[in-house]
Amino acid sequence: MAKVGGWRGKTLRVNLTTGEITSEDTLEKYKDYLGGTGIGYKVLWDEVPVGTRAFAAENMLVFGVGPLAGTGAPSNSRTAVTTIWPLTDPDTFVGSGHMGGHFAAELKFAGWDSIIIEGKAEHPVWLSIEDDKVKLKDARHLWGSGIYRTTAEINAEMGPTAQIAAIGPAGENMVPLSVVINGYCHSAGGVGGVMGSKNLKAVAVKGSGSVNIAADQKDWKELIQYALTLIGSNNQHVVPSTPQPWAEYYDPGSRWTASKGVYWGAANPPVETGFCNPHDVHKIGLRCHKGVKDFGKDFGGTYTVRMGGCYACPIRCFAQIDYPPLEGKYGYSRYIANTCMGWFSPRQVFHEFPEGPEGELKAREAMVLGSHLVNDLGIWDNYALMQKVFNYAATHGMLEKILPADEYKSIPWELWEKGDPAFLLDFYRRIAYKEGVLGKDLGDSTLKTMKKWQIPEDFYKKFKWKYWKMGHPLHHSVEDSGQIGALINMQYNRDSQNHSHTNFQNSGLPIEIQKKLAAKVWGSPDAVDEKGHWTPMNRYKAKAAKWASIRKELHDSLSLCNWMYPWVASPLKERNYEGDTALEAKYFSLATGIEVTEEELDLYAERIFNLHRALTIMEMNTRDMRDQHDTAPDWVFEEGPEPFTPGSNRFPREDIEKAKDYFYEVCGWNKEGLPTRETLERLGLKDVADRLEKAGLLG
Amino acid sequence: MKEDKDKNTVEKIAEVIGVNKPTSRRRFLIGSAIVAGAVYGSSVLYRQINIAEDNNGNKRVVILKNAKGVLVSDPTRCVGCRRCELACTEFNDGRSSPTLSRIKVARNLNYGPQAVQLGFRRGHGKFGDFLVIQDMCKQCPHPVPCATACPYDAIEAKPPLNARVVNTEKCVGCEICQRACPWDMISFDEEADKATKCTLCDGNPQCVEACPTGSLRYVPWRDLTKDFHPRQAGMLAVTEECDICH
Repeated sequence: MAKVGGWRGKTLRVNLTTGEITSEDTLEKYKDYLGGTGIGYKVLWDEVPVGTRAFAAENMLVFGVGPLAGTGAPSNSRTAVTTIWPLTDPDTFVGSGHMGGHFAAELKFAGWDSIIIEGKAEHPVWLSIEDDKVKLKDARHLWGSGIYRTTAEINAEMGPTAQIAAIGPAGENMVPLSVVINGYCHSAGGVGGVMGSKNLKAVAVKGSGSVNIAADQKDWKELIQYALTLIGSNNQHVVPSTPQPWAEYYDPGSRWTASKGVYWGAANPPVETGFCNPHDVHKIGLRCHKGVKDFGKDFGGTYTVRMGGCYACPIRCFAQIDYPPLEGKYGYSRYIANTCMGWFSPRQVFHEFPEGPEGELKAREAMVLGSHLVNDLGIWDNYALMQKVFNYAATHGMLEKILPADEYKSIPWELWEKGDPAFLLDFYRRIAYKEGVLGKDLGDSTLKTMKKWQIPEDFYKKFKWKYWKMGHPLHHSVEDSGQIGALINMQYNRDSQNHSHTNFQNSGLPIEIQKKLAAKVWGSPDAVDEKGHWTPMNRYKAKAAKWASIRKELHDSLSLCNWMYPWVASPLKERNYEGDTALEAKYFSLATGIEVTEEELDLYAERIFNLHRALTIMEMNTRDMRDQHDTAPDWVFEEGPEPFTPGSNRFPREDIEKAKDYFYEVCGWNKEGLPTRETLERLGLKDVADRLEKAGLLG
Repeated sequence: MKEDKDKNTVEKIAEVIGVNKPTSRRRFLIGSAIVAGAVYGSSVLYRQINIAEDNNGNKRVVILKNAKGVLVSDPTRCVGCRRCELACTEFNDGRSSPTLSRIKVARNLNYGPQAVQLGFRRGHGKFGDFLVIQDMCKQCPHPVPCATACPYDAIEAKPPLNARVVNTEKCVGCEICQRACPWDMISFDEEADKATKCTLCDGNPQCVEACPTGSLRYVPWRDLTKDFHPRQAGMLAVTEECDICH
């Protein structure tokens, strides 16, 4: 075989208990699982006994990176951190947090495809990877430091180009709701405490090598340039948010927010994003002004320095904000970067802000200050569910009863009532250091806290992002993509982290065009409904749901960003807005030199998806996955106007049951939601079938 | 012979500047160390230098012609995606490698050119004020430091653009040009064991073509060497008296 590109060929294994550092052959052991979540699930399946708890030394932690990380395939460098997830109850289920940044690419340049971490160190350590030189170093001097300082200290030691994934006090204290962060603000949710439980403060990487592209460089360039004609904005929204001369359509919800008069206002001199015609490749990076999207045109337009983001991604979705009062008022750096929930979750700690511009500003100040606090302390928000639980309990006077009197009194409630962002300084400190009942409970599995605090099940009614199940909220469910969203949200043990479906549903194109595109990919225009105009379940939607699910695993395993891919749609009118769903296979073929078709690569993805399923089934230890695991919350069936009327996100129970029937059918699972032997063997998972059969859990 | 006479000093210098290559490279090291001596800034050695001659005693080639084009950047628009670095190496070398890239962003990405130090919050880069500085070859006018430093005349002005280009036939991989460039812009291709630098891609720079924010431009040459602070101090790759060369 010609030289294999993409992968570097070596996977690093670090045993923290013994200090042993070894290297494994990636292609020999993990090629069928690509990398990323694929290698993560494979390691957990092979090596972590059923019933292992998240913070046990026997739990393992896989920093999974795939063959496309570090290449020029747009939007790569995602790291999937897979482990036993600390946020379910019991904490024995598989889960993964995902981070962008430049970490994954740097790991590849250092010569490694993934890192497998096992055991528990005797005292705090950090892992230093400098090409072949891999060492565990004493981290006792860093223990207790925030993520910012830890990163700077390690950079001072290793040099400024090292990419560092570190935990803060929250992770050290084994707060289940904690993160590992690389590059200032790229966080992987839920896994910080697992690192803390292993006494692992940070993983730092510096590489001087190369990622080879197997194909001829001209062919590779041609493919990359072609891909860049099809790329949209963040979430692959393919129309702008305002009417623009080049655009046939627009959609106010689009993340293609660039326009005339929309600036990176804090740049010196300010940069106007302007009209970004999709044919102008030198404006791709200006399309997504997330500062404007997340903060509004006034604040976002004024205080944004530029848009940042990940390695090799021309779509920049991290607003980099320069807000001087952060320094004078709160003692934090005036510079702060984040995106989406990183901004929104601190704001949701508050019940309300004062009316008018003053309140508006306070809300935004809470977003930027809160973002610093969670970035530095390393706290996760569980997609803002934690903040909502606090908010609900506080506004309903429940905390007075839940908390000891002294603790209750020690909380600066007057700040909270005024909507003063300074409240967050106190709030997040309690969580990171597990202070008192409030700090300990809020940082714990949200499910446990909800039970303990007796939060009524319908508490989430007033919120847009509602509770789903197993302690996590929805993530683009029925309100976004109808039954497809419901099916996707049922599959995982955390919020589903899947954008394959929502990217297409919200592309911004009119429904007639969406339907034409859907027909090409899934065989019928009925695979997609107009948002809010849901129709009863059909087999094509099940096909689309399966496709979306396996593509999510494909992206997390190749190290492409599922917030950007797949591309059913494109911004190009001359292509009738058609994207290219075979792009992943094209990248993979040229980069690795292993020629695959779209369908063949989807088989890898399906294998990975089914392995996740098998892991979940083993933990559930039930044949009734259908009713025990794959559930939708009651509000799906009870809340809102009559099902299938315009604007209603309510669904009849039998329709969702039908959705499961069809979904299981297209997945090759039985009626209970268990994969059959035939399906698993088709995917090369005979050993998985054997083990499931032995446990009486084969479909 | 000069080589014999200088041997001990030469090896000592090679050691000090860190050019500790295997013995197979010793021969060229000896020859090149006269320039290395200058780089190191030893005034004693400096007087012994005759950089008008290469180590075979031939007259040195001196680049007098200016380049026709040069890369310039607007760091205000740089978003740190590093697609320029990717284009440089993937489309020229068939592999992705930031250390090989002749446009350098990675090293400034986190903390700016000043690297991590106290007060980095007010410096540049992701951990500072977000400004990302792109470093590009300035296609220096005479005296071209990298070319002058090269003991093998391996860095040439390649027509028609006169970009300063490494002639891989002549380059022996001694890395002295890397130390001579005041802006630290020479890369080293570990696979080929040769130095490599910006060639302006024959007038169609891949990095410029790849930039998603139009932060990079390819423009008619002008002297940028006075506009940029050197990254390396104490550079002295040419003699004070130019008349000894030409």
